[in-house]
Amino acid sequence: MSMGIPEIEDASCLLCFGYNGADSHPIVARRIVRGRQKGMKIICVDPRVTETARISDIHMQLKGGSNLALVNAMANVIWKEGLTDDAFIAEHTKGFDDFLKVIEKYTPEYAEKICQVPAETIRQAARMYAVSKPAMILYGMGVCQFSQAVDVVKGLANLALMTGNFGGPSMGIGPVRGQNNVQGACDMGALPNSYPDYQSVTDPAARRKFEEAWGVTLSDKVGCPITHVPHRILHETDEKKKIHAYYIFGEDPAQSDPDLAEVREALDKCDFVIMQDIYMNKTGLHADVILPATAWGEHDGVYTCADRGFQRIRKAVEPEGNVKPDWQIISEISTAMGYPMKYSNTEEIWNEMIALCPDFAGATYEKMEKYGSVQWPCRDKSMEDRGTPYLHKNGIFATKDHKALFYGTDWHPPLELENDEYPMTLSTVREVGHYSVRTMTGNCRMLRNLEDEPGWVQMNPQDCRRLHLSKGELVKILSKRGYCITRCLPTERVKTGATYMTYQWWVGACNELTTAYLDPISNTPEYKYCACRVEKIDDQEWAERHVKELYAQIRTQMGISAEKEARS
Amino acid sequence: MEKKIGSFVIGDSTKCTGCRACELACFTVHNQKENHVGKTAGTVSVPVVYRLFLTSFEEGCMPVQCRHCEDAPCLNACLQKAISRVDHQVIVDPEKCIGCKDCMQACPFGAIALLPYCTDGHTVAQAGAQEARVFAAKCDLCQNRTEGPACVQVCPHQALRLVDPEREREEKNIRAAQTLYLTRNSREGGCR
Amino acid sequence: MNCFVKGNPDLCIGCRTCMIGCVVAHEGKHIFQVDPDSCSFNPRLHVVKTASLSVPVQCKHCENPACMAACSVGAIYRRDGRVLISEERCIGCKACMEACPFGAITMDTAAGTLQADGSERKIAVKCDLCSNLPGGPACVRVCPTQALELVTKDDLEHSAGQKRARAARAALSLQLQNQKCEV
Repeated sequence: MSMGIPEIEDASCLLCFGYNGADSHPIVARRIVRGRQKGMKIICVDPRVTETARISDIHMQLKGGSNLALVNAMANVIWKEGLTDDAFIAEHTKGFDDFLKVIEKYTPEYAEKICQVPAETIRQAARMYAVSKPAMILYGMGVCQFSQAVDVVKGLANLALMTGNFGGPSMGIGPVRGQNNVQGACDMGALPNSYPDYQSVTDPAARRKFEEAWGVTLSDKVGCPITHVPHRILHETDEKKKIHAYYIFGEDPAQSDPDLAEVREALDKCDFVIMQDIYMNKTGLHADVILPATAWGEHDGVYTCADRGFQRIRKAVEPEGNVKPDWQIISEISTAMGYPMKYSNTEEIWNEMIALCPDFAGATYEKMEKYGSVQWPCRDKSMEDRGTPYLHKNGIFATKDHKALFYGTDWHPPLELENDEYPMTLSTVREVGHYSVRTMTGNCRMLRNLEDEPGWVQMNPQDCRRLHLSKGELVKILSKRGYCITRCLPTERVKTGATYMTYQWWVGACNELTTAYLDPISNTPEYKYCACRVEKIDDQEWAERHVKELYAQIRTQMGISAEKEARS
Repeated sequence: MEKKIGSFVIGDSTKCTGCRACELACFTVHNQKENHVGKTAGTVSVPVVYRLFLTSFEEGCMPVQCRHCEDAPCLNACLQKAISRVDHQVIVDPEKCIGCKDCMQACPFGAIALLPYCTDGHTVAQAGAQEARVFAAKCDLCQNRTEGPACVQVCPHQALRLVDPEREREEKNIRAAQTLYLTRNSREGGCR
Repeated sequence: MNCFVKGNPDLCIGCRTCMIGCVVAHEGKHIFQVDPDSCSFNPRLHVVKTASLSVPVQCKHCENPACMAACSVGAIYRRDGRVLISEERCIGCKACMEACPFGAITMDTAAGTLQADGSERKIAVKCDLCSNLPGGPACVRVCPTQALELVTKDDLEHSAGQKRARAARAALSLQLQNQKCEV
């Protein structure tokens, strides 16, 4: 995020694009509600009536998969109506004229046909965003989980650039990251192409620095993104590129990745699978070795918040049983493999890391203790450098010539469209009570009491009437790749023809249906769009029994029993 | 949705005219099979008894019947285990009932009556006595009748209603939410 | 006048933390340690979501409670400015549920007690304003957006007083204006 989360409530206008704060991050949603109370204008772009849409001034309930057409149309209006910040564009950016050539055809009338949003509403929204200052954009997985994702991110950045909404507080663009500490994982180089602090593995200088520090030779090749793993196990013909061992920790690809049937096949065909997690999960059922790790509250560490803020987490209770913190497990495995790692605490690891990362160099444990959160870049160890709440101050960007670049791209539709056999669309979403893949929250009986297997499919009441479905009825939902059983939830908050499912349920596992089409740059799957069909189940008694049996079966496989739970 | 609590039929004294069509329908439905009661009076060979009771009071009249309580006093009072919960409804098994009257006394609504036990169009004598055998009878929501309770169906004034309490509660919840919108005191902003 | 907890749809984000807070308040912390089947999960307020609204709904602690009038076993009573249900006396007849116009009463499993035939015992449950807790209603305390507030007699009277004063001032300014016109 180019801004800090606390700055949200002081924006004059918020463009909330494909981001459902109330379900994904209630703590961030609080800032939006508070901003609203302070008089912030809200433009919400979402195919569903989310909590933010509900309190917004303008809600553009677009058809799923039409993001870029809408973003380009907003840019078109801002340009055509002369609402651009010309001084900012001239001084701090490049490529504006080329960008205009791309967006020229995206008139609101043109976009209306693609997005199903009235042209006049697009105009009003573009005006509202352009005349407000500071105006902020927040976006979420409704942007990133499409095969055209990075293009839309750039499109949103274009909007902020052309209106001069960079370089001050409460402005800019904010990807509110999908998961807790996903920002931290990226910051620390848990990406196929970078070392910590986004230092590229293909940059010889950076590589040399890490080689010297660690006393090893490092590869100059970009690694394999997680979404390519099944292919590299199943279909790779080049023996040298084929993956034979897969070490998975804090991740449940057999639940969270698209096209689960393929994922399971890959895990089973892979020679050796290690799973390291706090509880049993679906991936664990396919693992050769399970390494039990401590949970939050049982270990120390640092998380990065979506707004680049490093925060300490502390051990609150002593772990019980045969478990170890992740860093100890990694150290021991590394040592066993011939590269000794000896650390006595997380601060030692942290200090080694920040010494190699210029942007993090000043974020010491001492500073985090004192200030609570230190937002990178924080380059100086002195206590005066409290980090950087917002990026690109005074319009200075992190490019060689400090200028921002406009990128114009044309919209293209999602890759699997509705057809006669699968006439509806499926998008995977979240719900507030269950976090991510339920490895943690599925084991909390309070939250399980609130919502439990097999979850719900949200559908418009018109579609439900057409299919003779009522609330709570078990239904079968199918795609080209698989099917699952879940409960029908009629709601006026979604449009006809679209369905929404949360992706954490074991029985109602919507990723049995999703496609593995990826964005070519980010390699993120198109979770937000695939073709599906909903079928009524006539024998509800059988279905209820069947769901119970499936759930019990999975729990037995995982070795979960009620008595064990009660003791834990 | 899986049913969580029992349904029940409730009367409305502002609509009821006291015609007793409900009582007759109740009798007919419960004696069709066993006692061959048909559409004409000539088919009736057993006493005309029913499981809901037209009740007159100062301000009017209405039929009163079982509420299918969720902690049913009748069920708890029955030592014979003749009353049990079947698919969330409170149901009496006439075969097990010995006519002890405990359930009658326990019920706060007067919804249970001792009725003669009839089969094949005749009352049945008790073992070792002349008197007819009786059993505790009460509304069973016309179990297994696809059209639902007969009393509701036949009432000419729609003075009886089958209540699905959970669904009605949710509907009332929504109306209450709408009221909260009207009575909110916001500083700024608000819902669309 | 009775107090009551009131939800604000402008602030609610539909997260249902209030429902969890309610269960913990009424079951105690042991709920996290026991067999899930041996405790009951009965939130006494419900987050309602319609096309345009999200807000928790709960008992208003009416001054002439319809539920109390409908109860034939005397299980509903008033005490210390609250309308309460006696768990012991309730027989689960649903009359109060039927009577309440807000849908604030649910029939919920009373954990640990069964009926004579072994089936679940269900009784009427509703908001009791956390009469057992020192810090006041749990839902109000746990809400991340302060979307719930405890409304007291003083709050209501103060607000009505303010509104009356505003109305009086408005009437006066109108009269003064009329007088000016007449002059």
